[in-house]
Amino acid sequence: MNRIERHPIVAPPEGRREVAFRFDGSELRGYEGEMLSSALFANGVRRFSTHHKDGAPQGIFCANGQCSQCAILVDGLSRKACVTPLAAGMDLRTLEGLPALPEPSEGLAASRPRRLEAEVLVIGGGPSGLGAAIELAKLGMRVVVADDKESLGGKLVLQTHKFFGSEADCYAGTRGIDIARKLSSELASYPNATILSGSPVVGLYKDRVAGIYEGGSSYTLVGFQGLVVAAGARERSILFPGNDLPGVYGAGAFQTLVNRDLVRPAKRVLIVGSGNVGLIGAYHALQAGIEVAGIVELLPKVNGYKVHGDKIVRMGVPIHLSTTVVSVEGEGKVERATVAQVGPDFKPLLETARTYEVDTVLVATGLSPCDEFYRQARSFGFDAVVAGDAEEIAEASSALFGGRIAALALAKIMGRKVELDASWAAKREILKSRPGERITRETEVPGKEWKPVFFCDEEIPCNPCSTVCPSGCIELSGRLGDMRDLPRLAKGGCKGCTACVAACPGLAISLVRALEGPWCEVALPYEFEAPFEPGSRLGLLDRDGGELEEAELLGKSFSKKYKTWILRFKVSAANAPKAIGIRVQAPEATASLPSPRFSCAADDAVVCRCERVSFGELVRFVKENGIRDINQLKSIRAGMGACGSKTCSTIYPAVFRAAGVDPAEVTAGSLRPLAVEVPMGDIARGRGAAGTEGGRK
Amino acid sequence: MSRSYDLVIAGSGSVGVPLAYYCAKKGLKVCVVDREASWGRGQNRAAIGGLRATHSDPAKIRICQESIKIVSSLEAEEGLDVEWRRGGYLFVAYDAEREASFRELLVAQKAAGLGIDWVGPERVRELCPGIREEGLRGGTFSPGDGYASTLMTGTAFHALAARAGVEFRFGEEIRGFDQEGGRITRMRSSSSEYSAGLYVDAAGAQAAELAATAGVQIPVRPDCHEAGVTEPVARFMEPMLVDTRSDAESGNYYFYQAATGQVVFCITPRPQVWGTDKDSTSSFLPLCVRRMLELYPRLRGLKVRRTWRGMYPMTPDGQPIVGYAREAPNLLLAAGMCGQGFMIGPGLGRILAEAIAGGSKDYGFIFDQLSPYRKFEGMEMLE
Repeated sequence: MNRIERHPIVAPPEGRREVAFRFDGSELRGYEGEMLSSALFANGVRRFSTHHKDGAPQGIFCANGQCSQCAILVDGLSRKACVTPLAAGMDLRTLEGLPALPEPSEGLAASRPRRLEAEVLVIGGGPSGLGAAIELAKLGMRVVVADDKESLGGKLVLQTHKFFGSEADCYAGTRGIDIARKLSSELASYPNATILSGSPVVGLYKDRVAGIYEGGSSYTLVGFQGLVVAAGARERSILFPGNDLPGVYGAGAFQTLVNRDLVRPAKRVLIVGSGNVGLIGAYHALQAGIEVAGIVELLPKVNGYKVHGDKIVRMGVPIHLSTTVVSVEGEGKVERATVAQVGPDFKPLLETARTYEVDTVLVATGLSPCDEFYRQARSFGFDAVVAGDAEEIAEASSALFGGRIAALALAKIMGRKVELDASWAAKREILKSRPGERITRETEVPGKEWKPVFFCDEEIPCNPCSTVCPSGCIELSGRLGDMRDLPRLAKGGCKGCTACVAACPGLAISLVRALEGPWCEVALPYEFEAPFEPGSRLGLLDRDGGELEEAELLGKSFSKKYKTWILRFKVSAANAPKAIGIRVQAPEATASLPSPRFSCAADDAVVCRCERVSFGELVRFVKENGIRDINQLKSIRAGMGACGSKTCSTIYPAVFRAAGVDPAEVTAGSLRPLAVEVPMGDIARGRGAAGTEGGRK
Repeated sequence: MSRSYDLVIAGSGSVGVPLAYYCAKKGLKVCVVDREASWGRGQNRAAIGGLRATHSDPAKIRICQESIKIVSSLEAEEGLDVEWRRGGYLFVAYDAEREASFRELLVAQKAAGLGIDWVGPERVRELCPGIREEGLRGGTFSPGDGYASTLMTGTAFHALAARAGVEFRFGEEIRGFDQEGGRITRMRSSSSEYSAGLYVDAAGAQAAELAATAGVQIPVRPDCHEAGVTEPVARFMEPMLVDTRSDAESGNYYFYQAATGQVVFCITPRPQVWGTDKDSTSSFLPLCVRRMLELYPRLRGLKVRRTWRGMYPMTPDGQPIVGYAREAPNLLLAAGMCGQGFMIGPGLGRILAEAIAGGSKDYGFIFDQLSPYRKFEGMEMLE
């Protein structure tokens, strides 16, 4: 079983019931209520269907209910594996081509859809949606929050790392999972807030009504006056041959499998993209005991926070800059990935190609906003606001503020008298700001007294170190006058409590003090299992992952609050102020094959995953028919699949450019319901029908 | 800037594009102007794809027979797949009255040479396994009819027309016609002026507005209909299934399984929703799905994928308006398709091209019957 039994941060949920189910005739076991994709991955199954167009094997891509690539037959019905919970005795089968007309066992209980009335409908219960809903509920407004997942919190529930930002404003230093819990219980305490979880909004209609697939079992209509769209973001698909092989999927999908469902879906991964999502993906992989062959980044610079990137490199994961994926190949699943450096035109230089044997390629090339409902609402003339990643991709910390601000802006539009706290907008701007100046620090000289050493030299919105120190030894530089300023030593008096070391989300602070002779004591953070005993020797690394020395472990302690080990070492005086990392992954994991192995046909890259329309087919069609309207791509079925063009739309500009058409001249595709497919029987059955009663909270 | 042609067509939809193609094939210099960004973005894209010749009046029968001939041979003759499938049309009867009226209509339909006949409940069940059996009396079945992808058909005619030399001008709002001495001298758009020997109003839902700029009043008034499509499944039914019954909220509804496996469906709302709004409303799905499941309970596990809304440019008698305007003899009206532009367009295009190019005179009865100056009485039985 590919289950994660031990994890440094996430404890396996208690009281899960193991149940038996069948897959293609064999009996397998999984946990009741976990998503089918996770149960199958745990059993080593990652091919869920063969495509009806050409028989290509298909598995998950987004694992987030967005893309529809994970269709599978569940008791004869085609369902998305990533959003269908496992029940005992389920009969799962590989969906081979088109399914037969489903024959549900239950009879037909026709009734009218349930109808709810809200003052404000909030689409999405992630950090921004929760922030918005809480503010609206505080104002006494009738709020309905609809979220497609079983538990609220959005991507927060997938985050095992400590948050950047500030403690006071956005729970910095706290892990996402815990923030989600706090916010959902706060919202649930308002009687005027109705929470529909596991209930995707599937359509926004002109008559100011939203169609919701409530609990994934019945169709509910919610009338509303105002709308908050906080639907988050979805993984961007990218183009390379083999981009839909089972084993190529989004970094968010990986987080879902690993951090939410504690499944170990891979042995060795290659990560595409060095934004914070890709960097965190590498960190999550290592925590789960999965090797990371490397991170490739098209740009010549790490795209995420520098402290993040440095931390990952120190753990033994190389980041290959100016590098792209040439091809991902294997027999029906990912077996190897070939990458190459790019020239100034971002085209691969094939003579630099290197092939890695990996079973998984994580796509972390960015997110695109789920803003379709907002755009539709605006075109309908509704009172609507957009917040969080649906508005602009940024850190969850800024999404919290964004949601609150958007909610009050909407309340104002709707005629409520509200006071907007101007400091919120300022904080939000800071929290979502891109990394700023890099500053070179002088090497610290250790003294008798403990002293923090900062390996944080890029201005990012983060300040927990300065607020957790009980002795007030750490202050911010004051250059910008906000939390982006770099920390520095304010005064002596450090008692060596290591609060700052444990709290730093970048694992970028050590404590150092001089011992007798040419030695120092260094305290370092460690977020993995730490089965080391005092007296053992571990290899220490400098900021950039360079090896310093084998150092003796003097002692270890565990910060429960931050779920972080503090390891204390005896280090030579020369290396002590440089030591900040402990290698986690052995170099063998990152070796490429002696010679590259690939057969590259860039045209084969799949653009529309639902209908399997390739890049080459689309470019030809655009050229031959003089297409200047995305709607016409539907003639060859691109965008006509279950996902409604949510996944392929971000790639269309590349298609048009390749066909010699300026994407700016191209008319956008129309947005139509439904965003998620709903069985006819469930549309005809309202929540009031027999056997389906039971509101959700 | 001013451009001149033999023929200028307002509207690149179901009617305008095939007409342009057939006229260009006759050697005419043709230009098609449309306010949308590309072809078929008015009602063509909203049509569900049915193509039948089994109407109740000779003109439409004749035109649609021609359409079926054209569309069914696009792949063989032009190498253009439009997912045509000869699945037939099945009008089902669940009560004696409906059975009687269908049987009565059969007489005229057969007389017009249509391959249509009464089929009993057993044959209906064969054609549509899982259809409600309770009260099923049978229906009229016309195996020669069928359906095709509207998007692919539109794109096919556009490709043919472009190849034949038709010039397409997209993204231009058509402002109207200028007249001098009882004839149209030019058509003005937001960015150009067009002059031609003959102008065609094939502007679908906007046809009446456009004709009015030439002082021509035509009774075309669009109403809104919504449609939907499901996920694809393996083939389980062949015909376009039509239920002509109505209830308090809706009139007839119909659906078929496309060549690629999806079920495509639509319903006539009650009362009619006049207007040109193209955005979906919340009432359509619960209403249409409820009625479909009453007729075909086996569909309940089938997932609905998408819905959309389009218009039926209606005339008072449910028949198209085809003919030259008396007020402006160089204006040809080809409008008021009453939701059947997709099935009428190809045949009408070929027939009109013949007439324009001065060929066959066999179509006089069509112009007579669809004349803009007829009385507009009654309502087409199978509209």
